[in-house]
Amino acid sequence: MKILIVDDEPLARERLVHLLTEINQENQFIEASNGLEAIEQVNNEEPDIVLMDIRMPGMNGLEATKHLMNIDNPPAIIFTTAYDEYALQAFESQAVDYLLKPIRKERLEKALNSCSKLNKVQLEQLGLQNREISYRTHISAQIRGTLFLVAIKDIYCFLADHKYVTVKYDKEGILAETIIEDTLKSLEEEFATSFLRIHRNALIRKDNIEALQKQNDGRMLLKLRGLPEGLEVSRRHFSSVRKLMKT
Amino acid sequence: MVFAVVIIGELLAFILTLAPLNMAQQRWNNLALISLFIQWNGLMCSGVLCLLRPFIKNYSQQFIAVSSYLSVLLMLTVLSELTFYIMQLYAITDIISTTSHWEFLAHNLLIGGIIGALALRYFYIQHQWRLKIEAESCTKLQLLQARIRPHFLFNSMNSIASLTRTRPDVAERITEDLAELFRMILRDNHELITWSREKELSQRYIDIEKQRLGERLSIQWQTDAIPDNALIPALLIQPLLENAIFHGIEPEITGGSIIVSGELDSSQLKAPQLKISIQNTNSKNLIHRQGNKMALSNIRERLHTHFPGNASITCHEKDDIYFAIVTMPYQHKPDE
Repeated sequence: MKILIVDDEPLARERLVHLLTEINQENQFIEASNGLEAIEQVNNEEPDIVLMDIRMPGMNGLEATKHLMNIDNPPAIIFTTAYDEYALQAFESQAVDYLLKPIRKERLEKALNSCSKLNKVQLEQLGLQNREISYRTHISAQIRGTLFLVAIKDIYCFLADHKYVTVKYDKEGILAETIIEDTLKSLEEEFATSFLRIHRNALIRKDNIEALQKQNDGRMLLKLRGLPEGLEVSRRHFSSVRKLMKT
Repeated sequence: MVFAVVIIGELLAFILTLAPLNMAQQRWNNLALISLFIQWNGLMCSGVLCLLRPFIKNYSQQFIAVSSYLSVLLMLTVLSELTFYIMQLYAITDIISTTSHWEFLAHNLLIGGIIGALALRYFYIQHQWRLKIEAESCTKLQLLQARIRPHFLFNSMNSIASLTRTRPDVAERITEDLAELFRMILRDNHELITWSREKELSQRYIDIEKQRLGERLSIQWQTDAIPDNALIPALLIQPLLENAIFHGIEPEITGGSIIVSGELDSSQLKAPQLKISIQNTNSKNLIHRQGNKMALSNIRERLHTHFPGNASITCHEKDDIYFAIVTMPYQHKPDE
């Protein structure tokens, strides 16, 4: 079995490697020290099981799991934690596998043998019950089987077009775009503090507005820093754009 | 509460019946009538206060007190008027025969006003007392939690479990550190200890955390200006370091640094002041982790116990650096 161990503490990872080797000599291990690395490792190595710490810098375990669930054939995920009062209650109520550190060998063995795959409903509930750590710092998209992340802070806007939502973002200084599966409505709700809806088909980053221009035909166009073309502001959303620009 | 109102009302009725010395025959008749009147008043007032509750509960205590009292008086007036009218209608004039309408009303308001004020005061004090009991039992628990962050305990245990296999000597040392730290934490730390001891304990703590965080945690001690025998409340610095790690170091992939600095300010005309500041690079992560504010309020409380009015802890953030600064009067252990 190929097992990915995700934990920001080297000692914690070391211990798991020892335990897992004792359980089965043939186990293969890969390690990651935060959520971002975990996703990279899943892409490259396609592990069967992920042992995922919850609190980690960069990207926490809950968010990483959220992204991993978007892969066609996600690995089974077992959460590990030293102490998380609220998260534990949520795990109990959703019957999600979790291990408490320091982890017992027997308990680990049992979890490996019986681990079932998480489903999205369980994960959604976990998020609802752990708002403090359930925010996303990245948006994920799947391209040819690999998961690919875009940091929220690099995003200019989300544009809806027929069936899909396109995200336009800054990729090391170059404007790039990709198609994602989220809906504009859910994105608007999730990132209400940093993004604003300006049109039925557009959601933009608030702190990136450059200017509001009136066109000859009466339409209002919003210019964003770093984005060559202006985006149309609908009459319905005009007042909220104006209000934002005044402050 | 309603039961208490009924009892108070009935006691009042008894007092009013027994008070006059000269109406022996009618006493029990009067008691019935007076009871009826008082119970009506008491229960109606309670009812009105209950109905008022949602509207006034968000205002200040003074406002609540005055408005409750006024509504009680208003209810009394209304009921007195009603009673007077009914008694005239049915010609129950035994009691009121000698009194005029206005006298009756003034009489009732005066008695009701006094008893109402007493009753409200009684309920207020009882309420305060209950709050105090609740707060006390809560503080005890919080006090313990302010001293031990469960995270720290379990993470350290995990480090030890891991080190036992690979580096038993380090595991041994960490266990000793942990024991020493917990011995101090679990003591009722109402005492002052020397700076050198406090620094030693803090370093033990940092030692443990360093095993876990490795290179991510770096700390500098710029505390040469603090005399070794300066006295400070036990475990004043450790919780602040814990906060710094929890909020500043752990959420960052590359970690961060903590600087502990201290100075002895004896330039002022007043008594010399000891100033210890702990600064850490603050995490720029989107959402701050929920910490426990309990550590801070616990420190504040302990500073107040030892140096009432003379010591303080302040926190502020500047250019992504978080500062916690403790100032207290300088005291020192006599040289041995």
